[in-house]
Amino acid sequence: MSLIDLLRMSSGNLKRRKLRTFLTVLGVVIGTASIVVMISLGLGMQQSMYQQIDESGGLTTIEVNGAGGYGGMYGGDQEAPEEYITDEVIEQFKLLEHIEYVTPVLEVSAIALKGNYEGYLNLQGLTHEALEAYGIPLKEGGRLPEENGASLEFVMGNMMLQNFYNKSGGGGYWETGELPDIDFSKDSLFLILDTDSYYMNQGNSGFGDMGGEGSSQPKTIAKKHVVKACGVVEGGIEEYNTHSYSTYCDIETLKTVLKKEFKGKVIPGQPTMENGKPYKYFIYNNARVKVDDLDSVESVSEQIRAMGFQTYSNAEFLETMQEQYFMIQAVLGGIGAVSLLVAAIGIANTMMMSIYERTKEIGVIKVLGCSLKNIKQMFLMEAGFIGLLGGLVGNVLSFMVSFVINKIAGSVAGAMGIASDISYIPPWLVLISLVFAIFVGMAAGYFPALRAMRLSPLAAIRNE
Amino acid sequence: MEKVIEVKNLFKLYRVGDSIVRALNGINLSIYAGEFCAIVGTSGSGKSTLLNMLAGLEKPTKGEVVINDEHMEKLKEDQLVSFRRDHIGFIFQSFHLIGTMNALENVALPLSFRGERKESRLKKADAMLDMVNLKKHKKHLPNQMSGGQQQRVGVARALVVEPEIIFADEPTGNLDSHTSKEVMELMQKVVREQNRTLVMVTHDNELAAYADRVFHIIDGEIVKIEENRTCREDKRNEKV
Repeated sequence: MSLIDLLRMSSGNLKRRKLRTFLTVLGVVIGTASIVVMISLGLGMQQSMYQQIDESGGLTTIEVNGAGGYGGMYGGDQEAPEEYITDEVIEQFKLLEHIEYVTPVLEVSAIALKGNYEGYLNLQGLTHEALEAYGIPLKEGGRLPEENGASLEFVMGNMMLQNFYNKSGGGGYWETGELPDIDFSKDSLFLILDTDSYYMNQGNSGFGDMGGEGSSQPKTIAKKHVVKACGVVEGGIEEYNTHSYSTYCDIETLKTVLKKEFKGKVIPGQPTMENGKPYKYFIYNNARVKVDDLDSVESVSEQIRAMGFQTYSNAEFLETMQEQYFMIQAVLGGIGAVSLLVAAIGIANTMMMSIYERTKEIGVIKVLGCSLKNIKQMFLMEAGFIGLLGGLVGNVLSFMVSFVINKIAGSVAGAMGIASDISYIPPWLVLISLVFAIFVGMAAGYFPALRAMRLSPLAAIRNE
Repeated sequence: MEKVIEVKNLFKLYRVGDSIVRALNGINLSIYAGEFCAIVGTSGSGKSTLLNMLAGLEKPTKGEVVINDEHMEKLKEDQLVSFRRDHIGFIFQSFHLIGTMNALENVALPLSFRGERKESRLKKADAMLDMVNLKKHKKHLPNQMSGGQQQRVGVARALVVEPEIIFADEPTGNLDSHTSKEVMELMQKVVREQNRTLVMVTHDNELAAYADRVFHIIDGEIVKIEENRTCREDKRNEKV
């Protein structure tokens, strides 16, 4: 019997009992959809993890924490770092193999003022090379800070405006929902690096002489630097990415400015010697080491750790996360699979009923010379058809459900800082779920098909 | 004459509870090419069992069934199916047309089991329906036709594969006497014109009279073989 005739016969049989076919297919639709949607949730989570990793420097970046920094927040199993990260250390890192670039990170707390608004900034000084490599998406007209420039320039995160609040009351963005009237790309800001002095003088003097040289005596009015953002990170106030809450500047410029302002004094955030005197050199909070490929991450990390530092890379994190996500997906898929199992029982039941109903017919075609193999194929195809139909419709349903989930959850997720969709259905999932649905259909139809094959042709001859 | 069917010492025993029933008790018969044979007996005589055995639907307990030099009792089930597909046509008592197919598709069905292409099998089926005088009903579903018409479709379906042997199991059992007569005449005509071998099982002596040879079977044994051909030919000669 040719394939096309087999197809015609089995689809004809399905058409004969439309309601029953519909109900059986509906079971498969729900089963498939539940598996696909469940797995898509797991995949969505994984996807957003990958995206975050990608934005935070990808898999080949190693974060190095030195003594005095706030390291130790990740590597629970690593010893506390013993060494400070200094320029010398950075040079040493650069000598290691497989290194693309190394950047020290100098973090300084600062306060920015604009008119009546005040905002807290966490300045991150990075080398120009690293800033370029970060690939920060900037709004039109923006550029990266000049290397070793004369004055401080920033790249402002697109959500930084949320950190500004009105000094004369009224609260910030989170309380009022109103954004301060500041345009980073146009307006100049006052920047205060000596935050201690600023807070001490707060209320007494308010605005000091701007741009003036700060005096060397303590408890003086903090110096106000007039600064301007050279670039603003692309995106609206609610569109999160890894750079949204960051303020970047060139590390050399930052160092120059700091040295000048805190001549002979301890720069805020820098560790001191035992006698309370500042070190002669800068000690960085951490450093980022970019290696050339994923395989070298482990060896480079090891070498840096041997030098007395704590390291952390996304690659290490990724491995454990991947296992976890695989587990999550397996569990979610398993939950979804329960309904497909129920659907499979439904298919088996339908096929069984259909065979009982057609006992005579099967006997007749056997007497007329339909081979046993063909009979089996016919019923397997019928069951496979149910699976295929259910799989197709189930996938369409999954896409709709996924769309609705993303629509509803999207706004919540955006606020939580998850940029990508919660539910993600890749093409391979569609394909696999289709094949799986057909397979389940055929597996459920296998024993009924065998039964049909073994029915005695005598049933046809027996007269009622 | 060429022997198409040869049955040697055929036994079929059924176990019913503790006792054993002998459905067939040492049957010997030969059927020749181009013959119209009838097997006549009351219900329970074993006539249907004999037919099932001839068509390879049931295995004999003992004995041989040789059709076209092929030992039916030695074939496996799938071999039997393919043997039937290639050599045998079957006419059922209750027609057994496929309810979802129209007359034409029903007749073409056995050809599809052979893997014939759709156009060629529909063409053959069309010719067959013309032959059984169902020109107007080709597109009708079984439930839109009378019993007689349905059985004529059944006859066409048996003939379309050009079988060497046609088995008919009480072909008129569900028909009234008038249509019975029509169907019997049709079958007789087919045997004459196309020189087919037809084996019919019936309980009705009158219908058996249409056959060339009649085997009377009682309690699983053939008790009498009637030769009709010669006397019918004699009658015909008398009329002429």
